[in-house]
Amino acid sequence: MKAYLLIPISLVAVVAIVGPLSADAHGPALAASTAAASSPASFSQHPTTSNGTGGGSSGDSKGDASNIVHLPKSYVPEGRILFEESCASCHGPTAEGSSRAPNLVGLGEATIDFWLSTGRMPLSAPTVQPVEKPPRFNKKQILEIVAFVHSLGPGGPGIPKVNLHGASLTNGQSLFTLNCAACHTVTGAGDMLANGVFAPSLHIATPREIYEAIRTGPGNMPRFGPNTLSRKQVEDIIAYVRGPIQHPNNRGGIGLGGVGPVAEGFVAMLALAGLILVVFWIGERS
Amino acid sequence: MIDQALNWVDERLGVSKSGKKFLDKIFPDHWSFMLGEIALYSFIVLVLTGVFLTLYYVPSTKEVIYHGRYLPLVGQRMSEAYASTVHISFGVRVGLLMRQTHHWAADVFIAAIAVHMIRVFFTGAYRKPRELNWIIGVTLLMLAIVNGFIGYSLPDDLISGTGIRIAFSITESVPVVGSYLAFFLFGGNYPGTAVIPRFFILHVLILPAIIAILIGAHMGLLIRHKHTQFPGPGRSEDNVVGSPLWPNFAAKTTGFQLIVFGALFALGGLVQINPIWQFGPYLPYKVSYAVQPDWYMGWLDGALRIMPSWEFAGFGHTIPFEVFLPGVVLPAVTTLFFFAWPFIEERFTGDHALHHLLDRPRDRPLRTSFGAAVLAFYVVLFGASSTDVIANFFHITLNTVLWSFRFLVVIIPVVVGIVTNRICHDLAGTARPREARPRRMPNVIVRSDEGGYETYPAPLYPEDETPELKPEPVPVRIEQGDLSNG
Amino acid sequence: MTDGERFADVQGSTDISDSAEMSIDYRREGGDSFPDPRLAPAARHPEKVERVILALFIIGLLGFAAFGALYWHGGRQPQLEGVFIGVGLMSLGFGLSSWGKYLMPRGPFVEERHPLAGEPQAQEVFKEALLGRGEYVVKRRGFLVGVMGLATTVFAIVAAFPFIRSLGPTPGDTLDKTSWKRGSRLVTADGRPVRADALEVGGILTVFPEGHAGSAIAQTVLIRAADVSITTKPGRESWAPRGYIAYSKVCTHAGCPVGLYQEQTQQLLCPCHQSLFDVLNGAQPVFGPAPRPLPQLPLMIDSEGFLRAQRGYEVPIGPGFWSRS
Repeated sequence: MKAYLLIPISLVAVVAIVGPLSADAHGPALAASTAAASSPASFSQHPTTSNGTGGGSSGDSKGDASNIVHLPKSYVPEGRILFEESCASCHGPTAEGSSRAPNLVGLGEATIDFWLSTGRMPLSAPTVQPVEKPPRFNKKQILEIVAFVHSLGPGGPGIPKVNLHGASLTNGQSLFTLNCAACHTVTGAGDMLANGVFAPSLHIATPREIYEAIRTGPGNMPRFGPNTLSRKQVEDIIAYVRGPIQHPNNRGGIGLGGVGPVAEGFVAMLALAGLILVVFWIGERS
Repeated sequence: MIDQALNWVDERLGVSKSGKKFLDKIFPDHWSFMLGEIALYSFIVLVLTGVFLTLYYVPSTKEVIYHGRYLPLVGQRMSEAYASTVHISFGVRVGLLMRQTHHWAADVFIAAIAVHMIRVFFTGAYRKPRELNWIIGVTLLMLAIVNGFIGYSLPDDLISGTGIRIAFSITESVPVVGSYLAFFLFGGNYPGTAVIPRFFILHVLILPAIIAILIGAHMGLLIRHKHTQFPGPGRSEDNVVGSPLWPNFAAKTTGFQLIVFGALFALGGLVQINPIWQFGPYLPYKVSYAVQPDWYMGWLDGALRIMPSWEFAGFGHTIPFEVFLPGVVLPAVTTLFFFAWPFIEERFTGDHALHHLLDRPRDRPLRTSFGAAVLAFYVVLFGASSTDVIANFFHITLNTVLWSFRFLVVIIPVVVGIVTNRICHDLAGTARPREARPRRMPNVIVRSDEGGYETYPAPLYPEDETPELKPEPVPVRIEQGDLSNG
Repeated sequence: MTDGERFADVQGSTDISDSAEMSIDYRREGGDSFPDPRLAPAARHPEKVERVILALFIIGLLGFAAFGALYWHGGRQPQLEGVFIGVGLMSLGFGLSSWGKYLMPRGPFVEERHPLAGEPQAQEVFKEALLGRGEYVVKRRGFLVGVMGLATTVFAIVAAFPFIRSLGPTPGDTLDKTSWKRGSRLVTADGRPVRADALEVGGILTVFPEGHAGSAIAQTVLIRAADVSITTKPGRESWAPRGYIAYSKVCTHAGCPVGLYQEQTQQLLCPCHQSLFDVLNGAQPVFGPAPRPLPQLPLMIDSEGFLRAQRGYEVPIGPGFWSRS
């Protein structure tokens, strides 16, 4: 008989414990958003923000000049040494290129910085598209090489100083889905394109790398210059990638890697298999 | 008091006359007969969670500005349909649980129908007198697939919206009337504003009503024909052996219903599905990569991908076979062929008898290997829907993957058919379990002092003393006996 | 009902195996025994099973209570909501199924099938009633039946009209045209006109005719493949000034936006079914299911430096349809 007393006691206990613990709980990634999260949903008829979707705003190269990293001239000789050791065998001693590697002169500091700091260069083996890997050089060495190549011929975008203060996630979402999702997928997971080319995953990209990739269009990626996407628009995209792409709001539970219906289909099959095991238990065999 | 209540009901509904017969109704116990129940109970979950969702979802393409809990969308223009779905996911209590449970239930529902259908096919349960029930079942499968597609298109998000565009193109590919059909369905040229409200009514009223009626007919025929069963001791074409509806089957099936409900709700809370807030609202000039449809549309998407670009253009007209064949002809031929199968088999085997006993798949090698080959064909098409994901995962080129699937879709069914035929013939000689041979007893090994070994059979286990029980009709009451024997 | 009637079927059996059963003790350890082995529960130790079922029911109850408590305090935790209600339902379910499987009479039980079809006699009578009853009044009045049949057929046909024709307009020549006209200025999705310095070489932009920003049909992909004029096909020498090439963004296969631009291999890839188009060769399909090239929009640069269309597309955009000639 004592066992039956346990039932109402545990009932009360559960209600008493679970209740207060769950009060005021927010979903995981919502905590990253601010106090504005508590307003109930409402749909107004008047736009409060403009829906910027990429376009030719006036060039911001003037603004760019104050927001780029200026490398000291003292880096050039060090960079020459590193370049001759690791890059000249394919790119030539003055970076003029060869049958194996492109001409690097005039491509801009941002380009060289991107390829080196994502570790795609130096190549470990010939391939259709280099993959991201731990960089061979440390940060200072990379800047030295960049300074050296830039000294061979000016031109191209500089290394940006990215400022995400005041970036708009909404604008970023809109620009990302228009310009980036077609290759990188809408969750930034990356996928295989044609002829062995692939769009890499965006999950470990740093703000500087994203800026450089957008401006310089590495490999088969298109190039979005200042007349296509303004600096503010690029920073909005970066904020969106660093936020909802790299830290997605997976309020619904296990995110399955953002792969989508393919992964969901597998889980549904697993669930069905589990239910069939239950059926196997309930029913008879033979 | 229950007594009086039962009398009250009987005087108005007349239940006692056929009531006992109904309570005695026998349900065979084999586990594979419960696969259809997975589908049935998933459907009930769909209806229950679906009703909840209809209370919050707004089927309108009118543009609104989002002001809600999910910050990256605040201030963006979107359709009311999308905004209401985001609101369900973030603003409605247990809204996301209901939405995800609904979506998981749809995926499991169709998977269960498929598994159930496979069981019915390979055991020959569709033969006379059950051809009509088979046709109803195939119809249910196709309606469920269509309703699922329409359902996940309702949120009007970037990924499902792309699917709606493809649906428009498939509709307009039909020769002669295609563009008319597409314009009628969409209320004009793509995209228009009518398709979301129309999809809504199709999804919550028209198709579920038809599905519910057909499920009723499906189970009504099941009651009329009584369930099939596997051959075995005490079983014949003239009886059904198993558990009575009351209380055994009622308990097991209700318990299983709760298990299915619980599993689907657990999935709905623990594993994320269709996180539409991450995709953003649909705009017809935006698109994402890796946009597979939900799993049960995979065979159509795969067919669209591997189909060569054969378009006929001449005499002032165009027939886009590269869309028409995989998008219209394939599903139509599939459905009609499945419908016709019981009659094809009857004609081919010349067997017009009634069948209430099932076949073991191995005993019908032609049917089994043909069915396996056809199944393999659709499985390859499903695989072909993930060409880009496969290429990305295994680091092969898209070109290689695509051409491989074009060949595999022909080669694999043939190979599977041949191998299955072989396996069936190899297995055909095996006896039924427990039929011809007694249970093998273990041997006890004894070592003598001189070093030799002797064996003798082990004593019987208690259950081996009990011979197989013959089935008997259900008694009215279950009585305990005396504690003394007999 | 007497004991005798109740167990008539069992006791009346003369099968040897049955009498063998009757002499074996079906008493369960410390538990109840049954005169008919089929009525005994399937479990060897029903009390142990009972305890397990009880525990499962209690877990179920607690799960529901926890769900209720969570809901009452605001919810907002889908994972816990799902776990509580899921565990609650599954526990209850496993308990009830166990009850049905282990504690109820194990059987097996049988019922007879009865033939579905009636006796030939009954079939004849039925057919007579169905067909013969009305025959007298219909005979010699076949003409009436015919006209009624015709009327019904016509009704069936016209009744379908509201469900089909009222749904939408006929296509006419809508599918043959877009809103691109002679001199249409190119604008971005938020309506800003596109200047001739908008793209760097290797850049891509989605554009629309001015006044129709966001149009699903007129959507066009603008690519800067070079910084000098390009001829993609003979006769199109003036179509791509300063390297700006414009193609319809609507895939000629199934209509998806062709948004993937590979700027080194100079190809456009459609994400839906992987059709691949050669940008420098008039968007000729080189791979995948697309049957026709993407239509190219002839461009020009006006005196103020804005990009404009020389005229609209010369062929219908998008997937094929019957009247596309």
